[in-house]
Amino acid sequence: MTVELYGQARLLAGQKIVEVALPVRSSPADFAQRLADKYPALVGKAIRPDLSGPMDSYVLNLNGVEFISGASVELRQGDTLLLFSSQAGG
Amino acid sequence: MYGYHGQVMLIDLTTRKVAWEPLPESILRRFIGGIGLGTYLLYRYCPHGVEPLSPGNTLIFVTSPLVGSRLTTSSKFAVLTKSPLTGFIGDSLSSSFLATEIKKTGCDAVVITGRAASPTLLHITNNGVDYLDGAVLIGLTTSETEQAVKAKLGGMTRVASIGPAGEKLVKYASVANDGGRQAGRTGSGAVMGSKNLKAIAFRGSRPVEVFEKDALDTIGKDLTLRSLGPATEKYRTLGTMANVAVFNRLGTLPTKNFQQSTFDQAEQISGEAFVQSHHVKNAHCANCTIGCEQIVTTDDDGKQAKGRMEYESGFALGPLVGVGNPNTVIRASKMCDELGMDTISAGATIAWAMECFEKGILTPADTGGIDLRFGNEDALLKTLELISRREGIGALLADGSRIAAQRTGHGSEAWAMHVKGLEMPGYEPRSLKTMAVALSVATRGACHNRSSAYEADFSARVDRLKVDDERGRITAEGEDFSSVLDSLIWCKFLRKAFTDLHAESAAIYRHITGWDMTPGELKQAGERINNLKKLFNIREGWTRADDTLPARVLTETLPTGIVQGIGLTRDDLDMMIDGYYRARGWAADGTIPPAKIRELKLDDIVEQPSAIR
Repeated sequence: MTVELYGQARLLAGQKIVEVALPVRSSPADFAQRLADKYPALVGKAIRPDLSGPMDSYVLNLNGVEFISGASVELRQGDTLLLFSSQAGG
Repeated sequence: MYGYHGQVMLIDLTTRKVAWEPLPESILRRFIGGIGLGTYLLYRYCPHGVEPLSPGNTLIFVTSPLVGSRLTTSSKFAVLTKSPLTGFIGDSLSSSFLATEIKKTGCDAVVITGRAASPTLLHITNNGVDYLDGAVLIGLTTSETEQAVKAKLGGMTRVASIGPAGEKLVKYASVANDGGRQAGRTGSGAVMGSKNLKAIAFRGSRPVEVFEKDALDTIGKDLTLRSLGPATEKYRTLGTMANVAVFNRLGTLPTKNFQQSTFDQAEQISGEAFVQSHHVKNAHCANCTIGCEQIVTTDDDGKQAKGRMEYESGFALGPLVGVGNPNTVIRASKMCDELGMDTISAGATIAWAMECFEKGILTPADTGGIDLRFGNEDALLKTLELISRREGIGALLADGSRIAAQRTGHGSEAWAMHVKGLEMPGYEPRSLKTMAVALSVATRGACHNRSSAYEADFSARVDRLKVDDERGRITAEGEDFSSVLDSLIWCKFLRKAFTDLHAESAAIYRHITGWDMTPGELKQAGERINNLKKLFNIREGWTRADDTLPARVLTETLPTGIVQGIGLTRDDLDMMIDGYYRARGWAADGTIPPAKIRELKLDDIVEQPSAIR
């Protein structure tokens, strides 16, 4: 699964785009755990310390269209997850 | 009185008379301070139908009960006037030491009318008002003006000034303070210039007491801790320029005068790129623990420019004009700050002109030989300079895109990207449908700041690419929430640090003033303030036709990115605006029924309800 990182998450991971193995039906916790495994620097910054999902100050978005609020989501081949700050305004 | 002085200073520049009017508790509780109190004062003191650049217009500086409390982000003030850009309410916010100094002169607000006989430096202290010669300051940039005034009156003096753009009455000129901060949008700097006011210096010594200092200190410490947490992380790390890469990806980054919503050079001017290559340091406003200001510098061989970089400036002087060179964006933003011009309106008006040039409607003869095409960095910088002097093509562009398009014709009004005359900020409404409503109905014109409606679009709460009749209600709630923030005055970047803004702020208000204030009363104050803004606009000629979006938004679909093919029809926008009016309890034509005016306790303030359309 392709994951695009933005903001501080990108700077901490040192990469814009990362690949993470995720089950077809994935929850935010699945995402957080797999991403934390590869990029532990994100824990406590973009990912909750308990690995239950992104920090409140971040959002997960599917393909630039659907914001993932908490429930599991079905992922398809070619899907991309985006992780960016929830304070999108300014 | 605690938290307030309970009085407003009225200065008539023509007669040089100064008067003090009381501000009773009944007014202060209803309108709080900042934008709210300023709206009340504007409605009260600004004559109906006044020409914005005439002596009769009022220029109002307002503090708030939080100013002087030392709570984090509390050093803010509002500037209000009848806007020369829109003809409707012009309200702006700025920050830092000036807010506290205004309050220390012994007033909660200063209302300025008339016109000084010659260029003037107004010196306001708690002993009164002095008229000093401002001629020596004419032509100076905003920072040069501030330095000159401090050299003359003392380093602890705080200064509101205009730059060359305000002197030339550029209709989107801003008022600057404290090292380059700007009360931007809507042209308050032009109003100040029309009054022959080059600068206003404030120096005071009257303290403002709070009712329960110990309780307030305890709350303040807790709020400070929260302000340093994850709720504000984005602002401290990348600042608002973090928006660029995300907005580009989501197809919401207005590019080349809103012709598209993705920019192929977005990554070059992203927040991530700025942090890595241009960042100097973070800076803080007075009494602020967040420290959101990103100070950046150029890194090429040209003349060095160092200044603040925010998303709106970055978008308007970057993608909107087709420029992807961060050094040029930094230079252009710094120029606007020094010349004293709103970056959004400047960028958007130039973007309109660039499109006209590429379509052959403006020619090199019109531009004085400038090749005014999208992406031409030299052309951008040169045109900004000309606008500030009202010379060459700058003379056409200094009045904003609406008037420039009206004068130019050839159908160019279709791509003048403004609402009510105020140029649009960096949120593409076709791919942010809640924002589409908010931009169309905002009282000061196309404004992202007075509703924060984009929050819904950037969440699972709505489908940002689809319309429905709930968007109006969401917009109204966002506006009322923002009005509370803007009247207390809290920095909007602190908003996510609150668990319950109204409950926490009501408690803080009680600790400051000693007056009981419930969360419900505070919430209603937000609604009241937005209704009074609308009543001011109705008095000045607003009709439903003014709540709209530019023709381009309603006739063209987006051509690139994941939002390719997405558009917004007139019928869909009208449906959402209908929902907004219903949510507000207004009539179908957007006017406010007498019952709503009475409900909001505005009936003793506004003109007879029967006189309001």
